[in-house]
Amino acid sequence: MKKIALKALLYILTGGLAFFVVTFTVYFFNLDMKLTSAIEPFLLKWYDRIPRNQHL
Amino acid sequence: MAVKKFNKMVNPEKIKGDTRYGDLYKPHGKVRKRREWRGVGDTLYDYSRWLGIMLTLGKFMSKPRNIKFFFRYRWMANYLAVPMMVDRFTQGLRGEYLRMTHEEQDLIIIDVAKLLNTMARADRRTGNDEEFSKINVLVDENEMTAVMMGFPNLKCTSRETPSTYVSVLLNQHAMEHYIDVAQEYGLPGDVCPMPEAEAGVSIDDDAPIFGACAVQCNTTCDGSLLGNGVISERLEKEDGIPVFQLPAPLRHKEDDVQEYAAEEIRRAIAFIEEHTGHKWDWDYYFECAKRVNFATKCRNEWLDMNKTDYPQIFGGNLALYTETNYMAICGKVPEFERADRRLMKLAEKAYKKRKMAAPEYRHRAIVWGVQSHYYMDFLVWLLNCWGIVPLTDMLSCINTEMIAETDTPENREQAYYDMAMLTEEMIMRNRTHGGYKVLLDDLFEFVEQYNADMIILWEHITCKALDGMHGMFEDRARELGVPLIWVDHQLFDPRVVSRQGVRDQVNSYMRTVMQEEPLDPTLEVLDDENSW
Repeated sequence: MKKIALKALLYILTGGLAFFVVTFTVYFFNLDMKLTSAIEPFLLKWYDRIPRNQHL
Repeated sequence: MAVKKFNKMVNPEKIKGDTRYGDLYKPHGKVRKRREWRGVGDTLYDYSRWLGIMLTLGKFMSKPRNIKFFFRYRWMANYLAVPMMVDRFTQGLRGEYLRMTHEEQDLIIIDVAKLLNTMARADRRTGNDEEFSKINVLVDENEMTAVMMGFPNLKCTSRETPSTYVSVLLNQHAMEHYIDVAQEYGLPGDVCPMPEAEAGVSIDDDAPIFGACAVQCNTTCDGSLLGNGVISERLEKEDGIPVFQLPAPLRHKEDDVQEYAAEEIRRAIAFIEEHTGHKWDWDYYFECAKRVNFATKCRNEWLDMNKTDYPQIFGGNLALYTETNYMAICGKVPEFERADRRLMKLAEKAYKKRKMAAPEYRHRAIVWGVQSHYYMDFLVWLLNCWGIVPLTDMLSCINTEMIAETDTPENREQAYYDMAMLTEEMIMRNRTHGGYKVLLDDLFEFVEQYNADMIILWEHITCKALDGMHGMFEDRARELGVPLIWVDHQLFDPRVVSRQGVRDQVNSYMRTVMQEEPLDPTLEVLDDENSW
């Protein structure tokens, strides 16, 4: 039982550490903004294609 | 009046981590090279708040109707830049200052996410929840929402807040498309770009369609009236949403207009009751009034603190939060009262420790005029680049009086006058209208009260209400010997005056007139024209 609990704790700690390393890397190197800024031009093209009832 | 000379103050505490903030910018880039290193504790705190923001955004995008909403409306693309907006407003901040900014910004982000969720649910093109749509009353972006303080079961929803106002804070180029659309349809180019962009969203068929009715207000200027005309035409004739025009008096300091103003409030409430079927609730009104008073009390105390040598809630923190809390929230959201308490606690803690937000305070400035929205983090830049502390700004100098908050027959009558007063004195219009006392004389009174030694005067180049006073500001500043820096801008359109164009005006003044060197030279010239 103790062994299982230790194993579970190890998984949780490893998972938590991996989560921290990955998300902190994304945060610190601004990877989230770099990715979204690359997406933006495609999005704008998409919006241009939407039919609109444009009038005053 | 005598302007006191301010002696430079040096921060005894060393700023941890990065101090050359300009190095984080990527030339011609849209985003920065990396986030700021603020020392271990503050970096981890900022990281944890970033995770919170990502969670808010993730939760919003987890609903299919919100994804549909995102791909339908062009202005939604600007919300990709939410974390970067927070990075801009927190630049150079550590300790309590960083925490205060996050308290405010993160709450505003959550509130805007809720607003977007409401819109996506009610919008005929996406969620199309007809019953839910019927409990929404539309208001302008720049409108005091006091008339909604007695309707607990209705939602006061501004379509323009997320589509134009917040968008341009997120991305400086957000409104260029809509300004161009409005002008393609013959709207003049010399009106304020804010209502012009709002009209552009409507003309471009990019405004969500929902709501039981709408209340528009004669906010501040010719541009606002023009924009409202275009929007209400479409709302009423095409979408079948009735619109009430709430014409608050412009001469708001005169006693003889107050009865008329209160009558207009009664009419607006009757209109909302008629079109929603909901009745005015006095218990809820006085509950909101208590929260309005609490927010006023907190703001007064923060401003009093800013009159001392150790200002705490100032600059963008004060400006953006006040605009949201005073006008859009207006006592209706209890979370803001809790945030006020937390902010007060942080500010008092920092004040007791005599904390400073930058390595040096060289000047104490009152910031006046209507600020540029595409460069609202300019106030943080002033502090980091030149050590100029922006103590308060024109849009934060609003009502300081308490309103009636206990339910009595007399106070029920007084409440109409209180709502009228809040509406007349809403942000911007309380200074741009009402005579030169509120615009000109008050500025120089504030300079004295706050021991300021400098004025930063935003000149929004298509705001006729303020531009007409240009010469009078200069004459008075010269007469009193107060250094005054004009900062031209075009509110929503950085193609006319860029962010560097804004900075250059301060840089030239500080180098030539004040003969000073920047605190952080890497911030003096930034290649951020393409940046969000």
